[in-house]
Amino acid sequence: MTRTLTLIVNGEPRTLQAAPFASLADTLREGLHLTGTKVGCDAGDCGACTVLLDGEQVCACLVPTAQAEGRAITTIEGAGPAGLVDRLRESFLAHGAAQCGICTPGMIMAAADVLARDPRAGRAEIEDGLGGVLCRCTGYVKIVEAVLDVARGANAFAAKADAGAAVGARLARVDGRPKVEGTDHFGADHQPEGALWLRLIRSPHASARFALGDLAPVLARHPGLARILTARDIPGENAFGIFPTIKDQPVLADGLVRMRGDPVAALVGTRAAVEGFPDADLPITWEVLPALHGAAAALAEGAPALHRAVPDNVLTRGRLERGDVAEGHAAGAATASVAFETAFVEHAYIEPEAGYARRVGDRIEVTACTQAPVMDQEEVARVLGVPMHAVRIVPTACGGGFGGKLDVSIQPILAVAAWVTGQPVRIVYSRIESMASTTKRHPASIRARMSADGDGRFTAFEMEGDFNTGAYASWGPTVANRVPVHAPGPYRVPHVRNRTRAVYTNDTPAGAFRGFGVPQATLAAETLIDDLAEGLGLDRWTIRRRNALDHGDTTASGQVLHASAGLPQCLDALRDDFLRAQADAEAFNRTSGRVKRGAGIACMWYGCGNTSMSNPSTMRIALRPDGTLTFFNGAVDIGQGSTTVLLQIAADALGLAPDAFESVVGDTDLTPDAGKTSASRQTFVSGNAARLAGEDLRRAILSLANAGPDARLRLEGACLHVENGPASRVIDLTTLSPDETGAVLSGEGRYDPPTTALDANGQGVPYATYGFAAQAAEVEVDTVLGTVRVTRIVAAHDVGRAVNPTLVEGQIHGGIAQGLGLALMEEFIPGRTENLHDYLIPTVGDMPEIVVHLIEDPEPEGPFGAKGVGEPALVATAPAILSAIRHATGARLTRVPVLPHRLHAALHAREAAE
Amino acid sequence: MNRFDYVRPSSVSEAVAAGAEPGSAFLAAGTNLLDLMKGGIARPTRLVDVGRIPGLDAIETLPDGGVRIGALVRNADLAYHQEFARRFPMVAEALLSGASAQLRNAATTGGNLLQRTRCPYFYDTASACNKREPGAGCDALAGENRQHAVLGWSEACIATNPSDFAVPLAALDAVVEIEGRGGRREVPLTDFHRLPGDTPQIETVLAPGELIVAVRLSADAAAFAGHARYLKVRERTSYAFAVVSAAAALRIADGRIEAARLALGGVALKPWRAREAEAALAGASPGFESFQEAAALALAEARPSGDNAYKIELARRVIARALTLAAAGTPERLPALPGSPFASGGSLHD
Ligand SMILES: Cc1cc2nc3c(=O)[nH]c(=O)nc-3n(C[C@H](O)[C@H](O)[C@H](O)COP(=O)(O)OP(=O)(O)OC[C@H]3O[C@@H](n4cnc5c(N)ncnc54)[C@H](O)[C@@H]3O)c2cc1C
Ligand code: SF4
Ligand code: FES
Ligand code: FES
Repeated sequence: MTRTLTLIVNGEPRTLQAAPFASLADTLREGLHLTGTKVGCDAGDCGACTVLLDGEQVCACLVPTAQAEGRAITTIEGAGPAGLVDRLRESFLAHGAAQCGICTPGMIMAAADVLARDPRAGRAEIEDGLGGVLCRCTGYVKIVEAVLDVARGANAFAAKADAGAAVGARLARVDGRPKVEGTDHFGADHQPEGALWLRLIRSPHASARFALGDLAPVLARHPGLARILTARDIPGENAFGIFPTIKDQPVLADGLVRMRGDPVAALVGTRAAVEGFPDADLPITWEVLPALHGAAAALAEGAPALHRAVPDNVLTRGRLERGDVAEGHAAGAATASVAFETAFVEHAYIEPEAGYARRVGDRIEVTACTQAPVMDQEEVARVLGVPMHAVRIVPTACGGGFGGKLDVSIQPILAVAAWVTGQPVRIVYSRIESMASTTKRHPASIRARMSADGDGRFTAFEMEGDFNTGAYASWGPTVANRVPVHAPGPYRVPHVRNRTRAVYTNDTPAGAFRGFGVPQATLAAETLIDDLAEGLGLDRWTIRRRNALDHGDTTASGQVLHASAGLPQCLDALRDDFLRAQADAEAFNRTSGRVKRGAGIACMWYGCGNTSMSNPSTMRIALRPDGTLTFFNGAVDIGQGSTTVLLQIAADALGLAPDAFESVVGDTDLTPDAGKTSASRQTFVSGNAARLAGEDLRRAILSLANAGPDARLRLEGACLHVENGPASRVIDLTTLSPDETGAVLSGEGRYDPPTTALDANGQGVPYATYGFAAQAAEVEVDTVLGTVRVTRIVAAHDVGRAVNPTLVEGQIHGGIAQGLGLALMEEFIPGRTENLHDYLIPTVGDMPEIVVHLIEDPEPEGPFGAKGVGEPALVATAPAILSAIRHATGARLTRVPVLPHRLHAALHAREAAE
Repeated sequence: MNRFDYVRPSSVSEAVAAGAEPGSAFLAAGTNLLDLMKGGIARPTRLVDVGRIPGLDAIETLPDGGVRIGALVRNADLAYHQEFARRFPMVAEALLSGASAQLRNAATTGGNLLQRTRCPYFYDTASACNKREPGAGCDALAGENRQHAVLGWSEACIATNPSDFAVPLAALDAVVEIEGRGGRREVPLTDFHRLPGDTPQIETVLAPGELIVAVRLSADAAAFAGHARYLKVRERTSYAFAVVSAAAALRIADGRIEAARLALGGVALKPWRAREAEAALAGASPGFESFQEAAALALAEARPSGDNAYKIELARRVIARALTLAAAGTPERLPALPGSPFASGGSLHD
């Protein structure tokens, strides 16, 4: 039932038809098309929907529309009181406080509420006022700084860069303004006229056979439904998957479900019809089968096979062997071993999957959030049974990904629905659906052993790790292959033996998540290093520094690091801080009661790009007769900032200022394939392609002008000035003849990082370059209640070259927040924590003070010396926190997250042992 | 969401009449009800929006020195009401330790007391839940239940009540004013919520159509203002539901405890008043030993309902800690992280 309601939105009365109990967020978005107000959870948990009601912040997703009648509603689209919202917008831009931008409208509205009440609010008031808005990207650091600046009355200015000075500048994101104004379009913000809606009906069982009954009478009973799609309706192959040889996941399950949340049917129709359809109306009979939960169950003798092709449920085995571990252990003065367990971790990007598809003649267009447009194109083509060029993928702004949008989710089924109905079809995953059905971080069981000689020099490392990859392969093989290379950590270890298995189970699929298994392995290895330090009476910093990989050292895979191996510098950068923190904590603990302090440390390394696989990127820059300079950049920006960073690189390579360009980003009809936004590869791999494209165009210009390599370029309308002293000249672009794309001059760059295949022992050059980091953590532990507070983190990261220091810091802050979540609170349990109040991610109040040291040990192979930081940011944090808890309490924790009940148990066990 | 009717009565009597019709539910701010309707857990056929009934949103000081809080007073307005917070600091601290600013700006006094459990199986309509569907069984019993009840539970239901607000109210003998078609009645808050027994679907003593109009605290409750704290253990700092919480209040004269008030949150399907512990504290001198004894008494009847034995020990520790904090005196200003074990650490004045 709807009625006529009048709302006063941003000062203007708006009359519309709405259900009085529909949420205000929905009414604003779907009724008034004010899509600046975002919906991340629809349950009060994320605050993305924050608006002001009579000046006070509320969650619009939980306000019944009728209750807002007659009250003043302010959204991000409104100007706000006394220019406050505008000042916040500018400050957010200048500080890099918006990454993906999905939380930004809610953050700005919450900040406006705080500052309207208390214009001089301090840090504590601001953190309190922003406490209800979740951000998964920024670690809140730059957000709080941005708001504090406004409270202090500072005027924000975003830096600009002149020609040739873009790399290294703290440029504001080039795609930032729509994010702070609420006009950026994420997946759910596209509302094509007359679109049908799609909703999937999902299995409540983790393992079952099913049969569907006659659907015709159901359709007849629900006149708003256009179709009920089942496996039979898939025109092409009903299967997708990351690897060309492992297409094991059905678009719609065909008589068999392997996980809770597997889709069994798709409803297509009006929104009211698909949302109002009671799932119980679907005629389905289930035969529930025993389910295998956890890798141990799937590996047990006689366990049924999930996939016929894999009788033992072991999807992939990874392996690395160097030297002779037995000999290495024998040479050690101390040996430590550990069994470490980690949980499923959810990406918890604030934007649930959303988008739409439409059929255009014999082609299909899918507009949705993604990290991998060309992969989406391939998968949709196969599922529809059409050639690749019949598919266009248009990525929307992506409200966070972290690896979770590296698999297709909505794309194939949207395409099928639009294909068979001929109408545009929309889908918006609910938060629960997103969490129940999409990939997670692999839970790992790791057993590892490590030895060191009397001086603390590592002599051997070995590990065996089982990674629960869930019901479908997804990125399981990548995890199984990446971990053996990285598991010993960024240290010189002569004897290494690592074995991994990715195991199918009836759990939610585990796939790519910031670090591809390396964070789990690092937890185990860094625990062992603390053990060895303790056993040998060495300081925890010293043992790491003594073994740190340096220029000229050889890795466990036999790769010699010729350059850009800055771990020693990272460790040196935080030495004083760590030793001071360690001493302070020990002094404090001598007199303290229940609260104990601790300092911890951990290191990491991470190979940029895919493991021993070709992963090329191509970038293009074109100049038109009218002087329009366009950067065709196929790399999707999921908030990490590639749109800005790649432009900075391209601009300096060409020799024009970044604001001379316009960018076309990630549309498969318009941009060349840049590969996936994954594996911390875009700055390094696509950055090189962008550099080559810039250099290519520059070469073309210089040769046309007959100018020397030092010539300076200036673009004024259609006139391109090539300034080279006396030989300067002006190219009138209108006089040049355009090519088939309309460009008069263009440059293209392609780059594929040099790697080699790994041999049977995992030896070779799996990555062209590695990021390195050391982090020190300080914690306070309430030993009576079992609660932990991280008070400070010092992070030193070797990034080769910080192309945009603001964005690099933003990656590190955000990674630290995710690492803190991994260490202390995040545990996804299928069927039990499929929302953002049972699954907790860090809030602003959980964040420590963070100090970042950017170390720049240039990578000769990288663009302007740069390498990736996206994943490295997260890896060292959790082990550093565990190291600090151990320092504070003596409790050696071997299972994350360290929730109060686990710490409680560990402290109890310690007391009992004493 | 299912289809239904929506009415907006303009007086208490109209609301009570409308609320008595079968299938009706009162809608206050909707922060809990709307969420439950979206998930198909609550399926009212008629919403009676009481949000605009005049006269229910006042905080009044009573002639005897007590306070009367209208059912529609927002949680934030109550917590930031200076006079109220000065006299009932433990209630303000509990309110501010709960939810987020957005939710506290909307949530009402009546709605907070009537928010439903956060048991995940109650929320998941694919799971069996006696509360949602009487007789269906309880999937929490053999499920993930480390957050479930350790006191007052039954085999039919082991859920907990999630309200922070209700805990200090129970400790301070708040009285709920209820209006029904038969007129007005009053129920002590400690008798308002029901333990699950065999009928976990019946959560309070409210009869269909009965409306909470106010909650009252007496002058006697204000006498504890000098030594009253709320302590909440949760799994993250900004908004999370309590693992275990305690409201502890003392009246101390000449180094002796004259009277004590103690209630626990997160341990049972109702805010759990610990009267034996209070009795033991009366007359004792405040300190480690008396607090430990009180904590032991409060949990004497506790037993795990699953993988949650740790909660019993944790609850004892939370009680001892909350009593210690209360004995140290209520801080002049609420700490930056209300109810947090860390906020209440070192100095309470920073
Ligand atoms: C993300 C999130 C986090 C939260 N965290 C916490 C927390 O940490 N601690 C905490 O205590 N709470 C927490 N809450 C719960 C929140 O406090 C409640 O949702 C809120 O108090 C409910 O108030 P309301 O006015 O919105 O009630 P509504 O949703 O309108 O109503 C709730 C119930 O009460 C009934 N009702 C309402 N008013 C009356 C009345 N006057 N008489 C009779 N029946 C009535 C309704 O019919 C309904 O059944 C959280 C909620 C969310 C969404
Ligand atoms: S504990 Fe109670 S609320 Fe939870 S599933 Fe069991 S009956 Fe339902
Ligand atoms: S969408 Fe409203 S709080 Fe998440
Ligand atoms: S910028 Fe906050 S969620 Fe992405």
